[in-house]
Amino acid sequence: MSLAPAQLFPEFVANALGLPGIAGEIVGALIAAFLVGNVMLTFTGVAGPWAKRKITAAFTDRIAVNRIGPFGLLIIPAAAVQLLAKELIIPEGADRPSYDLAPIVLPASALLGFAVIPMGNLGPINVQLADPEVGFALVFAFASIASISLVMAGYASNNKYSLLGGLRAVAQNLAYEIPLIVTAMSVVVFAGTLQTSGIVAAQQEALVTLGGITIPSWYAFVNPFAFLLFLTANMAEIGRNPFDIPEAPTEIVAGYQTEYSSAYFVLFYLGEFLHIFLGGAILTMAFLGGASGPGPESIGFVWFVVKIWAFFLFTQWCRAAMPRFRIDQLIEVGWKGMLVLSFANLVLTAVLVGVTV
Amino acid sequence: MIGLLKSMATTMKHALDGSTFTVEYPETAPEVSPRFRGVHKFSQERCIWCRQCENVCPNDTIQIVQDDQRNGEQYNLHIGQCIYCRLCEEVCPVDAILLTQNFEFTADTKDDFVYNKEQLKNVPWYKGIDPLNSRNPDRNAWVGEGDGEVDYQ
Amino acid sequence: MSLEKPEADEAVVPADDAEDIAALLGENVIGREEHVNAPGFVVRPDAVQDTLSTLKDEAGYDHLSVVTAQEYENRYESIYHLKKYDDPTQEVSVVVPADKENPVSESGAGVFTTADWHEREAYDLVGIDYEGHPDLKRILLPETWQGHPLSMDYDQDQPQVVSLSEHANPLQDDYKDAESDTMFVNIGPHHPATHGVLHLKTTLDGEQVADVESDIGYLHRSEEQMAQNGTYRYQIMPYPDRWDYISAGLLNEYAYARAAEDLADIDVPEYAQVIRTMGAEMCRIAAHMLALATFALDVNGDFTATFMYAINDREQVQNLLEDLTGQRMMFNYFRLGGVVWDLPEPREEFFSKTRDFLDQLPESVEEYHDLLTSNEIFQMRTVDTGILPPEVAKDYGATGPVARGSGVDYDLRRDDPYGYYDELDWDVVTEDGCDNYARLLVRMREVEESAKIIEQCIDLLEDWPDEERTIQANVPRTLRPDDDTEIYRAVEAAKGELGIYMRADGTDKPARFKIRSPCFSNLQTLPEMAQGEYIPDMIAALGSLDIVLGEVDR
Repeated sequence: MSLAPAQLFPEFVANALGLPGIAGEIVGALIAAFLVGNVMLTFTGVAGPWAKRKITAAFTDRIAVNRIGPFGLLIIPAAAVQLLAKELIIPEGADRPSYDLAPIVLPASALLGFAVIPMGNLGPINVQLADPEVGFALVFAFASIASISLVMAGYASNNKYSLLGGLRAVAQNLAYEIPLIVTAMSVVVFAGTLQTSGIVAAQQEALVTLGGITIPSWYAFVNPFAFLLFLTANMAEIGRNPFDIPEAPTEIVAGYQTEYSSAYFVLFYLGEFLHIFLGGAILTMAFLGGASGPGPESIGFVWFVVKIWAFFLFTQWCRAAMPRFRIDQLIEVGWKGMLVLSFANLVLTAVLVGVTV
Repeated sequence: MIGLLKSMATTMKHALDGSTFTVEYPETAPEVSPRFRGVHKFSQERCIWCRQCENVCPNDTIQIVQDDQRNGEQYNLHIGQCIYCRLCEEVCPVDAILLTQNFEFTADTKDDFVYNKEQLKNVPWYKGIDPLNSRNPDRNAWVGEGDGEVDYQ
Repeated sequence: MSLEKPEADEAVVPADDAEDIAALLGENVIGREEHVNAPGFVVRPDAVQDTLSTLKDEAGYDHLSVVTAQEYENRYESIYHLKKYDDPTQEVSVVVPADKENPVSESGAGVFTTADWHEREAYDLVGIDYEGHPDLKRILLPETWQGHPLSMDYDQDQPQVVSLSEHANPLQDDYKDAESDTMFVNIGPHHPATHGVLHLKTTLDGEQVADVESDIGYLHRSEEQMAQNGTYRYQIMPYPDRWDYISAGLLNEYAYARAAEDLADIDVPEYAQVIRTMGAEMCRIAAHMLALATFALDVNGDFTATFMYAINDREQVQNLLEDLTGQRMMFNYFRLGGVVWDLPEPREEFFSKTRDFLDQLPESVEEYHDLLTSNEIFQMRTVDTGILPPEVAKDYGATGPVARGSGVDYDLRRDDPYGYYDELDWDVVTEDGCDNYARLLVRMREVEESAKIIEQCIDLLEDWPDEERTIQANVPRTLRPDDDTEIYRAVEAAKGELGIYMRADGTDKPARFKIRSPCFSNLQTLPEMAQGEYIPDMIAALGSLDIVLGEVDR
């Protein structure tokens, strides 16, 4: 750590505005959160109508959106207008207000998760909204609110496909959240802290130097086994192939979001993509050294963005290549395989840390 | 696990080789076979009003109106109803009705697809391919008489 | 060599003499008929079950191809076309007359389960009442339809009014049983995985399928009647393309061409037969590629890359077919007595294009193995799911890759040779898995066999002497087959045995035209595969059946 450490984003905003004390904290936090939230929403906006199509097209030998604007980029506003201009159809017998709340809870839970993610430095700013001591636990707590939203949507839609999708989502999240968190605990054991910035900081030392190339002690390199476990559980948590069972379009139409249209659908869509990015952010933070990368520390944010987009690319890659599990197989893999492995990993890590420290 | 990796490698190989099979229609007009069957073109100069095409048509797409001297007055063809089987071209003894390669046609209502002889005459060739020439090598195959019972329907 | 049947032939009753069968059936037979394809035995309408079970158990006729129903001036008639799975050239027609005023005959569904749907169709379209049928109701037309469209007194101008009271609330089945913990779900008619407009009335117990019933007929166009209104010579041929419309057109045309040529006694020049065989196999590749693509879609999800790769390979075949026939799907390429066009000029270009395709095909197939069959998750999903034991498959009259995936060695190209198949060297593919995986594997391996056939055809065509390239026999412009001749002929289409029954009445149009659709019989097996399985497995089983609703509903 050289020079003065960069300021947390809310502090930076407060200082820039010259607002001291509580008022500064509140205003700074609000403005910073607004900015970060919008950056993330922009990512999903780009990912949903454009990047996803382009990536899928690349895997399937096609061109995809190329008519409107350079590289078809103007499809993004076009899709937004198109989706929002559609009629909002609310099925008869829908259980309101949970039908209306579900599409808000999903993106909100993902956005909340970003509050404690250390996104690296951008110039003098340390792009992180808050750095509480239990940040690492908080982010999982926020992320798992998503399942509530899916159940609400599934149950409130008054549609059997939705109900099946909602129930599948719960079963899946239960089965994979425990391995996910147990595996995350091994990271905590390594880092010795629950503070997100601490976990990132612990990954900055060099692990080995091979032929002049320094490999940092990212936990993905320190404990690849845990990384794979976490990656798998993470894919299941965000419901991407091969774990896209709650939606499973060829089986249960669109799962919990079957009955959603127009703005509600957009919210669900945003929520899902935000969760992909949040999943990427957690993975980056816990295993890929956070925002670290070659170059000066002040462009760390760029590396962070690259890493979460790489994760997004990975999810789309799996989507092109992987068959989907059956629900009972998924549960079996979760409870009988992943859970056992994650505990084994935890014990292994504890022994390792106990021996070396 | 090996199988999973193979799947992922295969898809990535396709992504990286960069080749696409998308045809950017309408900027690039697709290649069609010289035998391709599109909208009909009718030539009143050639037509002898024998009505064989009307008879052979499997779903009554062609309608011919003649006066009491058996002179042709109307030749109507519903290109929206047509199943493009090419039997009319096949039975025509004088090549008066041909199926061009032209597949581009639109209309506001279904009724607009009923082409009269003027409209049929004005159907453009696709990429300048004249089916009469392009199918020339094939023509002798079906022009010719069967032995035994021959009647012209 | 490869075309020879593996042993086991001896065990079955050897080629039966018509007299032996007559003796076997005894007094059930009240008359004899001679069909072009088989001897016909007229049996008493109350002895159908007895006759069928005798033929099945004692004479080995274990394959009920189809039930044809028709109305004559003085009677109704059902014909049960029986074959042997071991040797489909041995055929028997069981003709069951029924009273004109009160057409009732005994149901054969107790002997052959496949008769269930076939008799329902006969009841629906012709109006024969089958006594003892488990559930005799309309199958293709809506329940409220008035009249039977293929019966003689049917008034087609009669308005069909579907009253609201009879148009029942589809949700009411939910509340059938308040105590039950099952759930009723309508899968389809609009659903991503029903491959068209199929409606599966599904009862779920949690995620498991407790019961499933197919509701078909959404795509019914009365193709049979259309054919009855067309002339043999020209007007029928464009329509077979539209039964199994996913580019298997030439295979369908082959079915009609074969039946009509045998009916009217037309010889096809050898050269035309080679072209036909080649075109038909190209269609089979195209159809199997699409089957593979959509199966991947069902199992992998809707963004799978496999779908596009397979569609792209199918595109190559379609380009070849377009060069050959002039159209990509609705070919209308066959004519009675040959084909309409010789190979496209310049021939060398066509040959080299075809060779290029065949050369890269093994690579593509290898790629599908990498993408699907070797993938562990895919194996988890497909191995041992959607089980269809061979006996059940036979009982339901399943044919094609569905039967061969269950180890039933039945392929009409070899067992009842037509075209040029028996001159070529290729193998019939069977797999013993009886599951979704086996059915997929059969299709993938059949693609390779088809490629072998095409390659041999290309070699033959290339060396064919110029002057002997006759593509059509001399066929009169108007065909009038002899009065009262009947024929049932089948070919091996992409989905299985596609058969045509025709009865000539001395005019230039068939008096009865019946299509035996392989998908129709194959789809009937779905409940056997799906019951007790999970929803995803049912979807996979449906995908592995590879049905085309255009052919199921006709």
